Amino acid sequence: MANSKEMKQVLFGPVFANNPIALQVLGICSALAVTSSLKNALIMSIALTVVTAFSSLFISMIRNHIPSSVRIIVQMTIIASLVIVVDQVLQAFVYATAKELTVFVGLIITNCIVMGRAEAYAMKSPPLMSFLDGIGNGLGYSVVLIAIGFVRELFGAGALFGVEILPLISNGGWYQPMGLLVMPFSSFFLVGIFIWVLRTWKKDQVEAKA
Amino acid sequence: MSSNNESIGKTLGVVVGLCLVCAVVVSFAAVQLRPLQQANKIEDVQRNILAAAGVENVENVSETYNQVIDARVVDMNTGEFVDTDPNSFDFTMTKFDAERSVALPKEEDIAGVQRMTTESPVYLAKNSNGKYESVILPIQGYGLWGIMYGFVALDLDGETIQAIKFYQHTETAGLGGEIQNPKWTATWEGKKLPIDVVKGTAGNDVHKVDGLSGATLTSNGVENTFKFWTGDDAFGPFLAKVREGALN
Repeated sequence: MANSKEMKQVLFGPVFANNPIALQVLGICSALAVTSSLKNALIMSIALTVVTAFSSLFISMIRNHIPSSVRIIVQMTIIASLVIVVDQVLQAFVYATAKELTVFVGLIITNCIVMGRAEAYAMKSPPLMSFLDGIGNGLGYSVVLIAIGFVRELFGAGALFGVEILPLISNGGWYQPMGLLVMPFSSFFLVGIFIWVLRTWKKDQVEAKA
Repeated sequence: MSSNNESIGKTLGVVVGLCLVCAVVVSFAAVQLRPLQQANKIEDVQRNILAAAGVENVENVSETYNQVIDARVVDMNTGEFVDTDPNSFDFTMTKFDAERSVALPKEEDIAGVQRMTTESPVYLAKNSNGKYESVILPIQGYGLWGIMYGFVALDLDGETIQAIKFYQHTETAGLGGEIQNPKWTATWEGKKLPIDVVKGTAGNDVHKVDGLSGATLTSNGVENTFKFWTGDDAFGPFLAKVREGALN
């Protein structure tokens, strides 16, 4: 049933062809909030990918035993537990970044991507495929976050991963950072540009005119 | 099989079982990782105290901290040192402990801290000869969006500012968040208490500091925080003792 072609489709489909942020427009809030630096974007991406993958795996494993009357609560319980574990791990191993991400790690619980994959895919599919689907959608989210984080940190702070790339005027260089990109709402423009580029490349994603 | 799933017994069974498993997983993670997290928190505070003392980019934070910093506790009313364990203070929690803090009347509470601890740790920075060089006070106060936490390092004359560092805040990135910008905090160095935060007219006046452009409310918060913590409700009595040469 789960042949390698289907697995590949499930794993890499969400990266560009069916991107959760760009096509389904899910999980925008955290994409705005945590992308001011590339490191935060990367850690957030890993955290979300882990949560999506494992919540899909566990939900899929018990999917035949979940009463449909309480299925959302069951999904939320699994997701919330995973998020707490991820939050604890971040605080233990990358404390400085965890401090910057603050509430946004906790808010993975309400990230529509996790919930959406649990409800739309993991409830109907076998564990391995659900796990791959979770990783795939996590990757799709990560691609957008890392792209935005790259642009925002490079042009907003003249650096990547905190290492100065464009020497700032304040440090005796020539680059005047764009203050706009430091503000969270600048991600709206960048997400928009990302979607524009993606749909110019993959024309089938353009919605039909009403 | 799925029709069975909808029975009350099965529903309760699944939910209770799931909750138990999740509770065990979460508790296990929390308990197992707590020592690491607490070490991180302590190290973070120590790193900030060292930064206020002018020691930055150290490899082994706790070792350097133990060499350079003497943590002591002062009584806020008398300004005298007391024997309380300085590690027993958690800046965010201690003030809610009714036995160790008092509520502040609103008109005196210019920093928006609501409650004030009756004792507070202070940190004395030593040079390599073991002589005290500066005294570092923990400060906190309301900015625009929330409490800003920081340290201020003073000379042993009790009035000249050596450094000011904010390590935790929720001000707007790029505007109020610039309270962490080293260029701005450098403008505080060498200024003397009392400090007024003004708009672009500070010049060489030792009692004035330029506020942050675009962040008037944050700048006001910093000024009030400063006035409060160097005033009579907070470190005023202690600083008076320092001025008399208590640390020389």
